Amino acid sequence: MRGHFLTGLFFMCVVLAALKLFTGGGPLARQKTEISFWNGWTGPDGTAMLEVIRHFNEENPDIEVSMQRMAWDTYYNKLMVSAMSGRGPQVFVIHASTLPRMVRAGYLADVSDLFGSSTGLLPSDFESKVLDQVKFGKKMVGVPLDIHPQGLYCNADQLIAAGLKNPDGTPKPPTNRDEFIDAIKKLQKVGANGDHDVWGFSWTFWRNNFMALIPQFHGRYFDDNGNPDLVNPGNVAALAFMGDLMNHLKLTPPAESNAGWTGFRQKKVAMLFEGVYMVGDLQSLTDFKYFGAPVPQIGSQPGTVGDSHCLCIRSDLNGKEREASERFISYLSKHSLAWARAGQVPARISIRNSPEFKQLQVQYAFSKEVPYMIYPPRTPLLFELIQEIDQAVERVLRGEMTPQAALELANSNVEKAIARDKEENKS
Amino acid sequence: MSSIKSQSRHANLFVVPYGMSFLVFIVCPILFAAALAFTQLDLTSREHLHFVGLDNFREALKDPYFIQATKVTCVYAIMIVPAFVVLSFGLALGLQAMTFGRNAVRGLIFLPGMFNVVVASIIWRWFYDGEFGFFNYLLKRVGIMPIHWLGEKTLALPSIVVMSLWWGLGGATIILLAALQQIPTHLYEAAMIDGATSRRLLTNITIPQMRHVLLFIVVTSTIGAFQVFGQTFMMTNGGPDRSTTGLVQLIYDTAFNKYRLGYAAALSWLLFAMILVVIIVQALLLRRSID
Repeated sequence: MRGHFLTGLFFMCVVLAALKLFTGGGPLARQKTEISFWNGWTGPDGTAMLEVIRHFNEENPDIEVSMQRMAWDTYYNKLMVSAMSGRGPQVFVIHASTLPRMVRAGYLADVSDLFGSSTGLLPSDFESKVLDQVKFGKKMVGVPLDIHPQGLYCNADQLIAAGLKNPDGTPKPPTNRDEFIDAIKKLQKVGANGDHDVWGFSWTFWRNNFMALIPQFHGRYFDDNGNPDLVNPGNVAALAFMGDLMNHLKLTPPAESNAGWTGFRQKKVAMLFEGVYMVGDLQSLTDFKYFGAPVPQIGSQPGTVGDSHCLCIRSDLNGKEREASERFISYLSKHSLAWARAGQVPARISIRNSPEFKQLQVQYAFSKEVPYMIYPPRTPLLFELIQEIDQAVERVLRGEMTPQAALELANSNVEKAIARDKEENKS
Repeated sequence: MSSIKSQSRHANLFVVPYGMSFLVFIVCPILFAAALAFTQLDLTSREHLHFVGLDNFREALKDPYFIQATKVTCVYAIMIVPAFVVLSFGLALGLQAMTFGRNAVRGLIFLPGMFNVVVASIIWRWFYDGEFGFFNYLLKRVGIMPIHWLGEKTLALPSIVVMSLWWGLGGATIILLAALQQIPTHLYEAAMIDGATSRRLLTNITIPQMRHVLLFIVVTSTIGAFQVFGQTFMMTNGGPDRSTTGLVQLIYDTAFNKYRLGYAAALSWLLFAMILVVIIVQALLLRRSID
């Protein structure tokens, strides 16, 4: 009986060894350094990134990068939990606005040594405000891959039909407040029963639309001492403009409507503010002529909001995995033009200046906003802050509160969240 | 005798895999969550864990978002549970009365429950779309102005209730139909000989005979109502203006967006306590009706 058992065990070992040998477990495969790369690019952008990775794997036979993508909603949850248990991916993407939270948790490696002539990642190839996003003290915790500002999307045919065109016949987007309101009025088509067949403009993602207007009115989120300052006059004016356009001038769909992006795709909305990443959604529409332009200057100065995807490395990585991760990040940064085609503005100035990038109409138009674009505030309590901003904007657009009152309530709630956080992290 | 004992031992072995999984995946997480509720565990904080006593529970009772979510959850339960019980019972009675095509109709009623909640929610989100949705298309065809089903604060929750009824009625209807078929026919025959009307048959025979099953449906649908999440998350993400943010979504946001696991665990226990109170009340009712 015992003899049979040992014989069986021996044959099982032989079969397992053979399987290992013939299914990629050979000496060559063992030499490869495997890198897991997580991100939230589940749309066409993810397909573009897969293509970049395929090229990287071909050009770097000693490294095998595998990408795992999941919806942003769940991405950060999984990343946070996996990082906490020390089982996170080697390389991952973090929004610049989310970095403070991850830095406080201690999950990000210092990648300062990645910036230098040896890797080709020169600090001078990035705007200082972009690089500042990944700088925490003396450490650099990531490499900005791209920038995604909010801009103005326009339906070219509808603008031309409404007479909004240049002398050469090309559509002319509005550039300031008066032109903007005039364009909305000319573009809208109202039926006999008062129904809008076409809206000239629609708010889309209210919070982001509001945050795009904040810098135009010299608004801010925190004062110089780090206390919440949502009730400053700039923020109130920006929010008042949004409310007026919807509720007093009646120039946008009402708050209950969700005409926004879907309406634009269906040619029922002629203009709207959205992120550059949405261009990927339009690229598949063959009978739709659209173009991008900077957000019109509604306030006293140009401005918009944007964010960046930053490439980060797990803090406990070293040896071959660290070296392979750094090589992969450098490669992605160098090849960010391919990534930009999916709907992004490259973070590297040299790539933005390339003739190939200038061919990408929407991306190039939105890239002109980078000099005056601002990032969301740097705070570990970003979710708490944007939750309150969301509510304040919604209350104003629904006509339930004045901008002043809504922002006062939001400010008070953010103050409480910060006080609680300080208490919990006082040591 | 020893053979019976041996068989019993072997039978117990078959219970071990389930027992182990119950222990690992049910009992341990419950105990872990119970411990967590008394701690501060913030994933983004360097001091990951420390004991805070009842602080999380005290904070919850003063948290306006918790109070708001509790109201939303209770309103949802109050709207859906009676409708759920009445409609599923009505459908079961209708099916029982059918002499032709009963199986086909039963299959159709049960079909929506086969969809994953995400799929069902996406379908209904399109039905409800304010500008391009199916319902508004029908309204426009008959000259009625479109309604922003999910955009109006007063309509969003009732709209989700309607979707949930469509999605969940099938299972309860099948259970009630099975129970209806168990009622002895001689009870009806005797009553009819005595001249009982249809209404008397329903109130004096059918409902009393069905009380255990009806209470089971009430209890399970109440628990389900208090745990509503998938529909609200997918269809409105808790909006407009938090009017559809229930307790489970609040717990989800607290745990996985704010990363405050200790506080989220405390909120979970408060939700559990609410459900427990409701179950106890319903259990008392059940016992009284049996007695």
